[in-house]
Amino acid sequence: MTKRVSNADRWALITGGRTRPLVPSEATEVSLLAELLADPSTWVEPQAGLEDTVVRAVVDAGPYLHLAPEPQPVPTSRWHHRVAMIGGAAAAAVILIALFAGVFVRHTEARIVYDGELQATALAPSAHASAGVMQSDAGFRVVLDAHELPQLPEGRYYQAWLKNAQGIGVPIGTFSSSQDYVTLWAGASPDEFPIISVTIEAADDNQASSGQAVLVGQLHAV
Amino acid sequence: MYRAYGGLVYAVAYRVLGRPDLAEEAAQQTFVRAWQAADRLDPNRDPGPWLATIAKRAALDIHRREARRRAHSLDDVATDHPAVVTLPPDTDSLDAVWQVRRAIESLPPDEATIVRLQHLEDITHTEIAAKLGIAVGTVKSRSHRAHTKLAALLGHLREPAS
Repeated sequence: MTKRVSNADRWALITGGRTRPLVPSEATEVSLLAELLADPSTWVEPQAGLEDTVVRAVVDAGPYLHLAPEPQPVPTSRWHHRVAMIGGAAAAAVILIALFAGVFVRHTEARIVYDGELQATALAPSAHASAGVMQSDAGFRVVLDAHELPQLPEGRYYQAWLKNAQGIGVPIGTFSSSQDYVTLWAGASPDEFPIISVTIEAADDNQASSGQAVLVGQLHAV
Repeated sequence: MYRAYGGLVYAVAYRVLGRPDLAEEAAQQTFVRAWQAADRLDPNRDPGPWLATIAKRAALDIHRREARRRAHSLDDVATDHPAVVTLPPDTDSLDAVWQVRRAIESLPPDEATIVRLQHLEDITHTEIAAKLGIAVGTVKSRSHRAHTKLAALLGHLREPAS
């Protein structure tokens, strides 16, 4: 079929009729945009039944966070079995909706009240991280976005701390090597304990810090 | 989450796979993977980019599976023969699909309809006016408004190199 809306027309629409010539990088991107606006995948809609299919698939996938399932009483009949299955699916659907809805509620309500960048030490020179702290009734939720922390040998783990100016540290959680977000919790306020650090610890009965810091930074009120 | 992102996920999958049934399979897998990895989702960040990454991987996994299946059925043709190997779109263009689709979803429906008719169905202002039963001037003004918004929302796609 002959195109009746020419590429020149498309470009004029996208660029708002700009008269000056486009530089090559602009031309490439406008061309991509014109192509995408004319591509069916930009406009295609899934069938209405896909939402139900997705919810069923998620329910069938089992519980969130790989939690071990609660022991279930053995059904005494096929009817009980069906009721248990329907009830379980309904409960899972409710949990699913609540979790996903909760994500958005928290997305709009939670606010970072402190943040900071963590610098690597010589023990892990490639590592880097940033931290954001949100306050809730339960305390301070510290989300650490850590990268390039090496995998530790068995029996060792990373521990995060908040410290005050006197060097007194409050442990806020442990984790293994990470390329992703780690959620930690602190009861102490970053106002009083503004230094955040990550150390390497051994799994032993010594609860004191090893002093082997791999990341150190300062939290600032936002 | 499906209601906010289902169309976007499906669009990216469709761009990779080009078939409604496979795109639906990819969309289903995307939300299952998202559910199973929900502990990695930072509730304080827009989940869109995270979900887009999962959607791209799910669609590309299915694309690879389908490519292997096609190559296997043509066992007298080398698997790297250009006639039997279909390369998926590059990830940059998939990101662009996501962003363009999201920008279009942010338009009022009457403006999005005009953009779709212009670009996808390839019809003129006069024909759009006749099809929608509105004045040509209204089509032009809505088209101008819509493209101005798209240009603002998608300007980063065509920023000149510094």
